[in-house]
Amino acid sequence: MSKLLLIEDDEETAVEVVGELTHRGYVVDRAATGPAGIELARAGDHDVLIVDRLLPEIDGLTIIETLRHENKRTPVLVLSALGALDDRIRGLRAGGDDYLTKPFALVELIARIEALLRRPAMSRETRLRVGPLELDLIERTATRSGRKIDLLPREFRLLEYMMRRPDQMVTRAMLFEDVWNYRFVPDSNLVDVHMGKLRHKIDAPGDDPIIQNVRGAGFILRANV
Amino acid sequence: MFRLRLTSFRLAIAFACAFFLCTVALFGLVYWQATTWLTTHFDGVVIKRATVIAAMPPDRWISAVQERVNEDPGNLLSAGLFTQDGHRVAGNVATLPFRAADGARGVTIMRIDPDGQHAQRVRAVVLKLSRGEWLIVGRNIQENEEIAEIIGRVLVLGLLPALGLAILAGVLLSIGSRQRIEELTTLAGQIAAGDLHQRLPVVEGDHPYDKLSAIINGMLEHMQSLVGQLANVGNDIAHDLRTPLTRVRTTLERARENSQSVDELRAAADRAIDGLDKSLAIVTALLRIAAIEHGRRTVAFGTVNLTEIVAEAVELYGPMAETRNIRLSANFAANAPVVGDRDLLFEAAANLIDNAVKFTPDNGKVEVTVTSDDGHTVLCVRDTGPGISEEEREAVTRRFYRADKSRRTPGAGLGLSLVSAIAKLHGFRLVIGGGPGCVIEIICPEISG
Repeated sequence: MSKLLLIEDDEETAVEVVGELTHRGYVVDRAATGPAGIELARAGDHDVLIVDRLLPEIDGLTIIETLRHENKRTPVLVLSALGALDDRIRGLRAGGDDYLTKPFALVELIARIEALLRRPAMSRETRLRVGPLELDLIERTATRSGRKIDLLPREFRLLEYMMRRPDQMVTRAMLFEDVWNYRFVPDSNLVDVHMGKLRHKIDAPGDDPIIQNVRGAGFILRANV
Repeated sequence: MFRLRLTSFRLAIAFACAFFLCTVALFGLVYWQATTWLTTHFDGVVIKRATVIAAMPPDRWISAVQERVNEDPGNLLSAGLFTQDGHRVAGNVATLPFRAADGARGVTIMRIDPDGQHAQRVRAVVLKLSRGEWLIVGRNIQENEEIAEIIGRVLVLGLLPALGLAILAGVLLSIGSRQRIEELTTLAGQIAAGDLHQRLPVVEGDHPYDKLSAIINGMLEHMQSLVGQLANVGNDIAHDLRTPLTRVRTTLERARENSQSVDELRAAADRAIDGLDKSLAIVTALLRIAAIEHGRRTVAFGTVNLTEIVAEAVELYGPMAETRNIRLSANFAANAPVVGDRDLLFEAAANLIDNAVKFTPDNGKVEVTVTSDDGHTVLCVRDTGPGISEEEREAVTRRFYRADKSRRTPGAGLGLSLVSAIAKLHGFRLVIGGGPGCVIEIICPEISG
């Protein structure tokens, strides 16, 4: 059971978020101010910190910097109401591991927390295997049950990203940020179109779909289909 | 207002005082110069006469002194001969005022006239004669006093009216500028109260007030157009937000009243969330445009290859175009260096292509080209959609504007405004052309240095 710490001053947001996280089986501590948050973070053994950027007394980035300075390596998800261009970069530079702009969908938050909890270890593996799928990272080839799949470079990266996160929900925004390296989503439909093409390539007629669509949220690559 | 009046009146008085002091100083200088000249002149006269007498043989001294006195009908000259111990021997000077032989001095002597003794200010020289007697020759300096008097009179007669005139002019000027300032203040007050149509008067064109007024009028012009735009934007925002929000409201209301099952309720909630997401997307896009317009990102500028950026955007939209059987063709110069922010330029290119793909009917064509000549780079996106009419071309780059016929097409209608903001931030030109379909160009100037 994962333990989370939410540092958020807005009462209503906090109640909703804590409620949803608890409902999903997480143990959640919550602090409403920066100093209280730092105290809790120091004392507890949290798996992920969720830190609002704008807090009374001490702001979110300072909290992260303080903790990082004290060698606290707990992954941090930064929440922000600021939609400005450089905020994300500044948030990540301060030591945050991921950045989510308010207002966000709860599924998006959950997906990000899950991603931080199950961060793939940087393996030296040159071949990835998930279920019937196999990816050769050096030859840049993909096969499904021995059948060769022709992929464009971007499709290859997309599949690699999914295969490194089997059975884990991946949102469109995450894909856009991590696979395309862009921060804005001109049209979330774009990702679906790309994903659709990829799925069309990896699923031969009669095959069970490996990558599944999660309504209103994103995609999951199933290890066992 | 009272303060202002006081200040300008004070200023007038200060000017008058300064004028007065200058004039007095000038007159003083004239007086000083004139009397100095006269004194030198008198000194020459007395020294010369005394020397002439002293050079005579001793037996002629008395008669020479007497002669000088007698020859003087204007009582200008005085002369006297005294014994070694100071007794008067001849002449019309009662007592010897000093005994020294080193040039002329200004002294008061008692002068013996037929009608008695009178004190008189003179320039006098005293010479010790060869047998020890003293000779004094003096010249009265009443002219100096007369000059002083004349100057004083001129001062009074000329200066006082001039002073009055100066004060009057100062007051008139200050009243004039005060009226002008009062006028400006009144108008400024009206403008501050919201009447942006008001303009400050420009009378002569060269007066500092007029220059100031002209500048302020220019500012007002700009403000008025901004406020006008803002009002439009406000309306547009309200409208574009109200539509999805109304839909959400209706959905939720109907779901609450009519839903027969949890699934139905869920489906309604999904639709409601979708509508809210649309509204939020509009707000997010607006904030983004505002952030770009404020140019907070200029720091990240560097030389980038526009071709690479646009190629990525084309790749991103390839599958999307494919699903609608739109031919997305690209024609790029190998190297198209521009100075800019990579992410923002990508965003601009992506938005242009996004628009083109969205507005082009199925089976249409979108053509993306990047040309570069001597560092002069142009990105052009051409589609076979409905195009943008000439009247609307300027308007589409404003926030929120969307040609009416496109209202049914998905998208927040902010794409071109965003592109426009990005182009402006980079100093690039956004040109919207027509023809069949729509042609949009971003023209990047040559890289200097």
